[in-house]
Formats: sequence, structure tokens, C-alpha cells
Amino acid sequence: MTNHWNDIQFADVILAIGSNPAENHPISFKYVEMAIDKGAKLISVDPRYTRTSSKAQIYAQLRPGTDIAFMGGLINYALENDLIHKDYVLHYTNASFIVDDDYDFDEGIFSGFAPETYSYDKKSWRYKTDSNGQPLKDPSLQNPRCIYQLLKAHFADYTPAKVCEVTGTAIQDYMAVARSFCETGRADKAGTIMYAMGTTQHTYGTQNVRSYAILQLLLGNVGIAGGGINALRGECNVQGSTDYALLFHILPGYLKSPEYDDVNLATYLKNVTPLATDAQSANWWSNTPKYLVSLLKAFWGEHATAANDYGFEYLPKRSGNYSYIMLMERLQEGGFDGMFCMGTNPIVGGPDSLGIGRGLDKLKWLVSADLWETDTSVFWKRPGVNPRDIQTEVFNLPAASSVEKQGSISNSGRWAQWRYKAVEPPGQAESDAFIIDQLYQRLKKLYSQGGVFPEPIVNLAWNYGTGHEPDIEMVARETNGFFTRDVTIGGKLYKKGQQVPSFGLLQDDGSTISGNWIYCGSYTEEGNMMKRRGQEDPTGLEMYPNWSWCWPLNRRVLYNRASVDPDGRPWNPKKVVIAWNETAGRWEGDVPDGPWPPLNKPGGRLPFIMTAEGVSRLFSAGLADGPFPTHYEPMESPMANLFCKQQTNPAVRPPAVLSDPEKFPYIGTSYRVSEHWQAGAMTRNLPWLAELVPDMFVEMSEGLARWKGIKNGDMVTISSERGAIEARALVTARIKPLRVGGRMIEQVGLPWHFGFAGLAKGDSANVLTAAVGCANTTIPEYKAFLCNIEKGGKKA
Amino acid sequence: MSTVNDFGKNKAFLIDMTKCTGCRGCQVACKQWNQLEAENTEFFSGEGYENPPAMSEFTFTRIKFRDYERNGQSEFAFYKEMCMHCNDAACVSVCPVAAFVKTPEGPVIYKTKTCIGCRFCMIACPFGVPKYEWSKAFPLVRKCTGCYSRVKEGLKPACVTTCPTAITYGPREEMIKEAERRLSAYPDRYLPKVYGKDEAGGTCVIYLTALPFDELGFKPVTMRALPSYTWQALRLVPGIFIGVGATLSAISWFQHRKERVQNEQAGMLSAMFQHPREQESQAQEDQTSQDVKEDQRS
Repeated sequence: MTNHWNDIQFADVILAIGSNPAENHPISFKYVEMAIDKGAKLISVDPRYTRTSSKAQIYAQLRPGTDIAFMGGLINYALENDLIHKDYVLHYTNASFIVDDDYDFDEGIFSGFAPETYSYDKKSWRYKTDSNGQPLKDPSLQNPRCIYQLLKAHFADYTPAKVCEVTGTAIQDYMAVARSFCETGRADKAGTIMYAMGTTQHTYGTQNVRSYAILQLLLGNVGIAGGGINALRGECNVQGSTDYALLFHILPGYLKSPEYDDVNLATYLKNVTPLATDAQSANWWSNTPKYLVSLLKAFWGEHATAANDYGFEYLPKRSGNYSYIMLMERLQEGGFDGMFCMGTNPIVGGPDSLGIGRGLDKLKWLVSADLWETDTSVFWKRPGVNPRDIQTEVFNLPAASSVEKQGSISNSGRWAQWRYKAVEPPGQAESDAFIIDQLYQRLKKLYSQGGVFPEPIVNLAWNYGTGHEPDIEMVARETNGFFTRDVTIGGKLYKKGQQVPSFGLLQDDGSTISGNWIYCGSYTEEGNMMKRRGQEDPTGLEMYPNWSWCWPLNRRVLYNRASVDPDGRPWNPKKVVIAWNETAGRWEGDVPDGPWPPLNKPGGRLPFIMTAEGVSRLFSAGLADGPFPTHYEPMESPMANLFCKQQTNPAVRPPAVLSDPEKFPYIGTSYRVSEHWQAGAMTRNLPWLAELVPDMFVEMSEGLARWKGIKNGDMVTISSERGAIEARALVTARIKPLRVGGRMIEQVGLPWHFGFAGLAKGDSANVLTAAVGCANTTIPEYKAFLCNIEKGGKKA
Repeated sequence: MSTVNDFGKNKAFLIDMTKCTGCRGCQVACKQWNQLEAENTEFFSGEGYENPPAMSEFTFTRIKFRDYERNGQSEFAFYKEMCMHCNDAACVSVCPVAAFVKTPEGPVIYKTKTCIGCRFCMIACPFGVPKYEWSKAFPLVRKCTGCYSRVKEGLKPACVTTCPTAITYGPREEMIKEAERRLSAYPDRYLPKVYGKDEAGGTCVIYLTALPFDELGFKPVTMRALPSYTWQALRLVPGIFIGVGATLSAISWFQHRKERVQNEQAGMLSAMFQHPREQESQAQEDQTSQDVKEDQRS
């Protein structure tokens, strides 16, 4: 989230797209309703009419996988009707930048495309520069090669009529959305976007988010109270897990994970550290060397020295993509001996889950650390296999739940809040920290006796006390970081062992340690800031600066320097996130995005400090599949792309097996319900929750049910090219067919919580989904696939 | 007698159905606090995701779903069913053994140790709230107690604590004032009615809705306090009623005598509002000690 949960109440318009907050983030809905009580409008954009839609002032149906068409239409509407926040766009985005002469876009393909590798050479997506390498700009926004004009041309086709033909939205609903949301282009209005997996789980999921970002930047909605682009994370600590590098492509604090050609520290730092392209750009990532060296010092302590590149050689270097789909493919090829599943249940949660089951059969061993026996841990007795044929040895490690251990969680709003142990874990259950610690101690012992490249393991700095399990307070202290020797910075002496007060003081010479630079400031000499529970609200915007601690530097609204004009005056004087106090010569309100004066003052800086150019990007060369989002059809779609010749995302290699629209004519989409949780191991084993939603079901329209002779509650079979599942039919007026491309197309919705094990059992929706993912993140395309539906169960 | 109550000061639930998202946290919280068994359900048992099929000895509150289309517009609406905790409760007035009590705090509670399972309350309740323990050999009546065990300790009821959006809890007069404030602040959002202000003579559960109450599944009730009706009816058959009542009371006294003796032996005061799990484990312990004794004998 750029903003935070409490902040939603300050929005004038809330656009819930690709999310269903009433059902899947019920607590967030408290803030949505607070906003509605103050006069805000809630817009629910969803293929299904959900519990969120029932509370919305405007509901607009859209076909799964057509977010970019939908948002492109809004971008076009805002530009055509001149509803954008012009000063904001001119000063704080790259709208005026001129793009390289070689940049081109034709029939869905950007310049530099290499069809044989499904990839782009992004050279032509650069800014056009002067002889000093500085980007050329046209502040009049008239140059046909400036980004403003290119953007306008790119989305000129996205007229309401054409958009609705693609998305299936009723045109009056679409216009109501366009009018309401684009009204927030006014400086005194705020619009927020709440999104979740309905947005991201597509072959162009990242571009879906980009389309939201572009619209929000055009309307001046980023950095302000009640605005922003807000990812509703799927569980309480997903934000924390990405902050701490759960994903393969990053190190803690979103530092890039090194690749095979980063042969030494200097090369890596040269490859990843950006150079500022504007004198007024803060270019925060120029500090990368300080953060990386401090991280290496946290990993290897005294074994990380200038002589050995601070242990850079110990870091694994990747040579490709190790994301979920790739791992599951490799599993099926027999590429792994063993696998650890900690709080994960891939045989239910992964795409093309029958294939994952076949992959698990090839393992020599499997470890499952979870609260319950998961479907994955009993894969060897799943329906259709003989346990006798499977040789995998399975170890179940009973794990403590979140209330049975101490530590921090980072919520979607980036607030790191300390949680205390409420009860002891039952039986032999242990915390994850205990499990990891035991694993480490044993590995270290084995590697101490020799082995290939033992140094990264045996030299690890693992100083978390001598208790039964690692002392989590000590982990938190190291994560914040401390000085390794006495140093004087800016005339102030910091003693060895002292906690580093903020990441501005981290060094690249080994004098500081920090396990995660963005958390530097969370555990200072004053103590564990995450434990704070102060309820003061000095701004009146419910930022509660003394409640817990928020990264970065307790800043509650990211990019808040964009909430003021170039002189430091708030765009909206009624909701002041920060303001420049001329007399005192300092900022007031939230912690500003850097201490420098406003843009127009001497020493002023641009607001988007994380980009090299200091402004936000309407056009971005960073993604794998294009500098602008463009509408493509999902990998499996019943219709042709009406916007261009290119049918699907050209930067995604189509999977070998796809469902044919002739055989599988209906659109399938998966979702979650309030009553169950993810792959269901936690909730399908709780009788009180199983009682509420006991069986796998499929939601379908009344028309489709009539056509197929299906009555509410009947058992039906849903099939795709990957497999077939049984479910009970929930026939409802809330599911409607979509009028797209001149015909009606039916859709069905399936919750993905069910599996063959546990108390409430059912077939997994992911038997049907394809193992194909987003060009940038490879998150699987769970939200749009083709299927067929017939009356009667599998054996019928 | 309930008339000593100042109903305005009673604690009441203000349930705003326009704010309810149907998440059913209340249903689960209720079962957790009261340690009620989960019911065996299949698919869904009403419109939308409704489950279990009805209020029962195991289900004291429940969200009823409405899922339909009107004039081309989808409706997905929710209504929380629970004991209304009437000011002048019919169940209190008809109970022949005075097992039901309107507490000064507001909740209408019942003494499990006194109840004889006659089911007069079930017939008298205009909302169909008290439920019979059909699963037991000697069934008694059970229902929502307004979490009296929590309320008397200064806590809010379990469902209120869990609800993220729809339930406000506080003195009845303040809840009615708040309901009326919302009606005048958002006239477009609501049906202009504070349900429970006068229904059945006034209740400690106050509803606001957008949809007509009958469409949500509310039962039509009179505005008069129900005991006035029950009394009129019962006045005509006083001899029989008193006779039946006296007999039932006597049966009850004998039925529960054994338990009382046991409890006294164990040095326990009869804990009316003991946590159900404790009651259960107590019962189990009693059973076990009896089993042990029998084993020793044989």
C-alpha cells in the first residue's frame, strides 16, 4: 500500500477492482464504510456481484482479464475530457519527457520484440537525451514524442463503446464509473484504488497494476490522504514476507538478488545502482552500496570484510527464474530430491494441481511444517493413486500458530506491529524460528566436518542467544542494525554496538550492520518501536505516528511530497499530509519523503525519490512486456483481441496445453470466500468454519443453469484441458453472462479453497487452471481460464 | 419482575444491516464463546451462502442471506437472527418454573438448572428464538444469552466484539438515538423505521435496514408487549395453568435434585453462568468419577 488501512476513510471515491474487501479483507471494510458515511462513493468492479458489490454505490461488471481495457478507457476519458490534475502531471510525472526516436508500438507489439524468445530488447524504450545524457523535456506537452502525447495516442482507441464491447460492462455503469472516479482529478478530491489477486493473477498482472498507477498519477491521487494504490495483501504478514525477501528475485529490503554475471561486489553494485538523471532527483537507490554491505555484515558478521567483498561471494547467484511455476515444473521433471513446505499447500494452491501431485510423487522426501496435516503432506493418499507406488518419505513438523509465538507482523499499510505470545503452542508444536534454527545448527555441524563450499553456512553470524529458540528481540535488533565500531558521522559520535537510528546513517565500509535497511529505525536505542501503542493523532488523518512503526522511517503515506505543490503548499488544504513551514524552514505532518525543502526552494528535491529521474513514470522501461499497458486477452479466452492483432501477451510463452474454446466455452474464474482461508488447511479443519461453507461449489448464472438443466445444489462436473472436478451448483442472479464481441458469454466462479484432505473436503479449483504466469512476476493466471460444465458428478 | 428495569439503561444491540457484509464472524464468535458444536451442513441451506439451516440448540445466532434479482438489479442482503432480548419478554412471563430472567443489564437469560424443558417459551416467543435440545435424552431449552457472562464482567458480547462493521452496543436509549440519527443523516439509505423500538413492546436488539423487513425474513410482530397477551390467555385457564406449572416445578425440583446434591458435595455453588466448556468438563468429570466408582465395585 502507498497509504494505510485507516487512510481509506479519507477517500472521496473508492475503486475496488480485482479485490473483494467485504469478503476477503472484512476489517478493511470498516474504513470503507466510514468513508461512505462521510459521503464517499464505493465502486465495485468485479465479474461477480459480491458482498462488496452489495455495499457499493456503483457496481460495474467486467469480464475476467479485461482490467487494462477497463482502465485504459478511464485513462482515455480523463485525458479526452481534460479531467487530469495538470500541475501534478507536469511537475511530478514524466509526462513531458521525450522518448527515443526508435520507440514504436504497432498492433500490440512494442519496438524491440524478439518473437523467438518472447522477450523485448528495451533499448528503444529510453528517454531521448541531450549530449550530457539528461532527458529532453517539453513542458508544453505538445511534442508528439513526449510521453503525454504518446500516452494519449496509445489509449485513443479505448472509447467507452469499444471498452464495453471487450469488458462486457453495461455502458451506463461504465460511464458512471468514469464520471465518479475521474472527478477525483480535482486537487481537493481523493480517489483510492483497492486491489488484490483479481488484478495480479493474469499473464499481464503487473501491467494491470501499471494501468491503475497511470490513472492515479494523471488524477494526482498518489501521495495524498485518501488516495494511492493499495494492494490488499492476502494475509496479515504478506507485506512482511516480501519486505524480507520471500521471493527469489530480491534480497531483504528489495535489493536485487545477484545474477550469475555479477561476478564481484563492484560489478553487482555497478549493475544495480542507478545514476540520477536530474539534478533535483534524490535518487534514493544511489544508497544501494550502503544497504547491501550492511546486509552482508548482518549475514556474515566479522567474516564479512573488505578483503572478501563483505562475503558477496557467499551469496547465491541466480541464473534464471526460480518462481513458483518454474519450481513446480522442475518438480514434475524430477528435478528435486526433497522439498520443504512451511505454511504452504501447493497441491491445492498451485496451478494445474494434478501435475503438482505427479511431481510430488518423484520426491525422495518432503517436509511439511504446518498447523494441520495439509493436503500436500498426504499427497501420497490422494484420490486416484496407490500409496504403495509412492516412495516419498514425509516428515510432518507441527508448527506454532501466530498467537503461539512472539514477533512482528507487517500489515498491508507497512506498519510493523509487535505481537506477543498469547498461549503456548500445543503438544510438540514449535515456532518457525525454532525449526529454522534447528535446521541451521544441524547443517552447520555437518558442514563443519567438510563439504563443498562450507563457508556461507559455517561463517554465518547467528547470534540469537542460547535459549530454546532464537531470541526474536535479538533478531529484531539485528534487522534494524547497529554500529560495528565507533564512528563519527556529521560530527556526531556513534559507539560500537549502538543501534543505528535511521537508514540515513548506514555505511558501505562495514561500520554498520542492518538485516533489512527499510526496517532501520524500527529498533533504536529507545527500544523496540514496533511495540509502541501511542494513540496520538496530531494530523487528524489517523496516521498515529506513535502506534507501532512503519517503514520507511515511520512514514505513513508514501510519496507524500507529491501531496503538496512545488512550493510546499498542500494541494488539498483540508487534508494535510505534509506542509512546508516557511518560517521554521521545515516540514510538518507526516514524516516527509526526505528532509529537503520543496521543489521550488533552494536545495529542493523532486517527490518520487525512488526513481532516478525523481518523478513518477507514466511510461516505464522497467517491465518485461512494455512501457505502457495494453489490452491482451487472457491465455485462454473465448474471443479475439478487439484492440490489436496480437492476441495474448507477447512476452509470455504459451503453455503446451491450452483449453480450446470450442470444447470449453465458458470463462472460469477463481476466488476466495470470507469463511475459508487460502488453500484451506487452516479453515477446512475448523468445524465452525466448515459448517458455514462445507462443500466445493461453483457459482453460475440462472440462464446457464436452465440451458444445462442444472438446479441449485445439483452436483456438476467442471472440466478444462487439465482435468475435471465435481462441485455443487450455486445458481444465482449475481452471476451474469457477459455481452462481449457481439455475443453472450457465460462465466462460472469457483472458490479455490478445497482439497481432498481435512474436515471439509472437495475438489480443487486449481485442477482446472493453467500453469502460465505474468510476464514480470510469473504469478499464475488463476483468474481467467476456459472450462466446460455439465450436470452430474464425475462418474455421471 | 422486569418492570423494575429502566429499559433505557439496558444494554442493547444496534444492528445496521446496511453495514453488515455477511462475513459471519458473529456466527463463529458466538459458537466459540459458547462452545457450541458445529452442525453438520451440506452445501448451503438457504439463499446465498446461508448455513446452518436454522437457529438451534447449537446455533444461537445466524446470518440469513437474501440473494435475488429485482428490476434487473442484484440484491445480496444479510440479516442477523438472534434473541431480541425483549423488555417485557414473553418467555419470561410464560415460564412456569421462572427459569427465564430479564436481567437488569438487559439480556434475557435462563437458568439451565431450573429449566424443565416444557417448551412454553418456544411457543410464546414471537421471534421463534428458544430452541430445544433435540439431541439430548432429557432436552432443555437453549438460546442466546446476550453473552450475559461477558456483559456482567463489563465486556461486550462476543458477536459485537468480532463484528467489523454492523453492530454497535450500548445503553438502549443511546442506541435508539443513534439509530434515529442515522435515519435523518442518511434518509436515502434506510427504510424509515427503527425496528425493535416498539416491536413486541420494545427489544434490546434494534435493527436498521434498507430493505422491507418482511423481505429480509423478519416475522411480523405486534407492538404490544407480549406478556399482556399471554396473561389474557392464561387468565382464562388459571387452574390448569397453575396446576401444570406446579406439577412441572415439582418434576423440575426432583429432576435437578441429584445434580444439586452432587454440586453441593463438590463444594460448588451452582454456577448459573459458568462457561459452557467448564460445565461440560464438570459433567465429564462427574461421569468419570462415577465410572471409576463402578469399576471399583465390579
